[in-house]
Amino acid sequence: MLDLRTPSGWFFALLGVILVVLGVFTPGLRAALTDLNVNLYCGLVMLAFGGVMLVLARTRP
Amino acid sequence: MKLAPVDYLILAIYFAFVLGIGWRLRKSVESSRDFLTSGRSVPVWITSLAFLAANLGAQEVIGMSASGAKYGIMTAHFYWIGAVPAMLFVGIFMMPFYYGSHARSVPEYLKLRFDEKTRGLNAITFAVMTIFSSGISMYALGLLLRLVLGWSFTASVLLSAAIVLTYTLLGGLTSAIYNEVLQFFLIVLGFSPLAILAVSKAGGWSGMQSRLPPVMTHSWQYMSSGSQNPMGVEVFGLVAGLAFVLSFGYWCTDFLVIQRAMAADSMSAARRTPLLAAFPKMAMPFIVIMPGIAALALSTMHAGYTLPVKGDGYDYDQAFTTLMAQFYPSGMLGVGLTALMASFMSGMAGNVTAFNTVWTYDIYQSYIRKGAPDAHYLMVGRLTTIVGTALSIATAYVAQRYNNIMDLLQLVFSFVNAPLFATFLLGMFWRRATGHGAFTGLVSGITVATLTHGFTVAEQKGGWITPIHQFPSTMAQNFWIAIFAWTACFVTTIMVSLLTRPRPAEELRGLVYGLTKLPQETGVSWYRRPAPVAVLVVAVLLLLNIWFR
Repeated sequence: MLDLRTPSGWFFALLGVILVVLGVFTPGLRAALTDLNVNLYCGLVMLAFGGVMLVLARTRP
Repeated sequence: MKLAPVDYLILAIYFAFVLGIGWRLRKSVESSRDFLTSGRSVPVWITSLAFLAANLGAQEVIGMSASGAKYGIMTAHFYWIGAVPAMLFVGIFMMPFYYGSHARSVPEYLKLRFDEKTRGLNAITFAVMTIFSSGISMYALGLLLRLVLGWSFTASVLLSAAIVLTYTLLGGLTSAIYNEVLQFFLIVLGFSPLAILAVSKAGGWSGMQSRLPPVMTHSWQYMSSGSQNPMGVEVFGLVAGLAFVLSFGYWCTDFLVIQRAMAADSMSAARRTPLLAAFPKMAMPFIVIMPGIAALALSTMHAGYTLPVKGDGYDYDQAFTTLMAQFYPSGMLGVGLTALMASFMSGMAGNVTAFNTVWTYDIYQSYIRKGAPDAHYLMVGRLTTIVGTALSIATAYVAQRYNNIMDLLQLVFSFVNAPLFATFLLGMFWRRATGHGAFTGLVSGITVATLTHGFTVAEQKGGWITPIHQFPSTMAQNFWIAIFAWTACFVTTIMVSLLTRPRPAEELRGLVYGLTKLPQETGVSWYRRPAPVAVLVVAVLLLLNIWFR
């Protein structure tokens, strides 16, 4: 059967890439109440989460 | 809230993935059991996250952050003492009977343990209630998206229903469960940045403590009487009403969640499902309640954020979405909105799949057409998915037109649910309990709940017979209705059982404590055994309650 880690991994890796690209190329995109580059940081976390899922799916512990 | 193209792109990617998961799983459905019970094949990490996610609707996220802003950290009682002990109990003590009896649903367990009429009562009320709650949450979603994004009610209701319908139809319960886990990850990754941003803006926990009245940042200290805290609830009502009757009644008997555990691939996995789910459950207040409290703290600070106002008070229901609009730029805003849709979908898919199984096995196969080949029931299961979704949509529109009917129905359902745990407790742990006892117990519990509501008043609600007692809040009233209903059911079941003929012991093997070989968990590492995991859960629960006392 389908290993759920594979689609979740790809999903979050993809979201992560979109957010990181957005964070790097449009750093001026900020929300009203925070000076942080929210897209960049959240994107990195999602990329990492997606990567871990994909590694786990590959190694199948 | 204004969405950019990238936000829509993220939403579209999410839709593509949930549909893709359904498409990939379509081949795993060959029988009605595969479609309706996942053929008991799902790994434990997936069942435990689905156990949690199926209960986590969008209403809950919005409602719990609203309660956070209204009642403070006391709201966490709904996650900690009001859920975790029951989750431990169902995993350790009740799952051996649910999973071991080979029942396909909770009503079917009642049929095996008691009799046809007890199953019928439970199956029919459950089927009606799941449709209504799925419709009401759909209504809430349509309302929310119209308010926040200006989307049309019909478009958002139909679009989200169509997606849930498609992936459930393709892969059945497995598809619903797999998507619930994806949705759960999205909820955590999409909402926790908001909690972190809002809380740090409000000065962290200590900053919030210094800005808010102490009752908002203590969960136990102002509980000795209802007049001290905004919930209007005192310790006994909370512990007996919420933590015992309502929480055990939901987590230990509601097929919506139990179905996830029953889909697990082994007895040990089924037992650990609610135990492992308890860890993320205990963490949820930090993601959904903390932003609410932070919203209230920010409103006192002149930091550029105030809660929207409604009438002469705050509109707490808008706390979560307004925070999101203020802290998330385009991009992350799309993720947050997608997570909100995801939480709605996981709740709705949970309702639809539970309704499917109960309708197909407990109503259709039991009362309408017995003994047909399995392919027939598979077809009925698929058709039921469509009919169930259509009924939910219809309910959403009824809710939109007749708000009061919906309130009334929810009230009636709470009366039906309140006594249930007494029936299961006696059924599983007292072999003398009989079918007549269980049935009259349930009926008397529901009657007492109705009478209690008729004789008491809170916030102008209830007291329609003649008001003889006043509660400080409807929440307190609900807790006490549950306590009375449970007690009535418990006592009546025992009395009628003692007067009626017991079933012979050999018929009850595998169904009752003392006549069932309990699973022995030896020779596996400690974290694969239920008891040590439960001890760890209790330790974390105690620490949280001491820290936020």
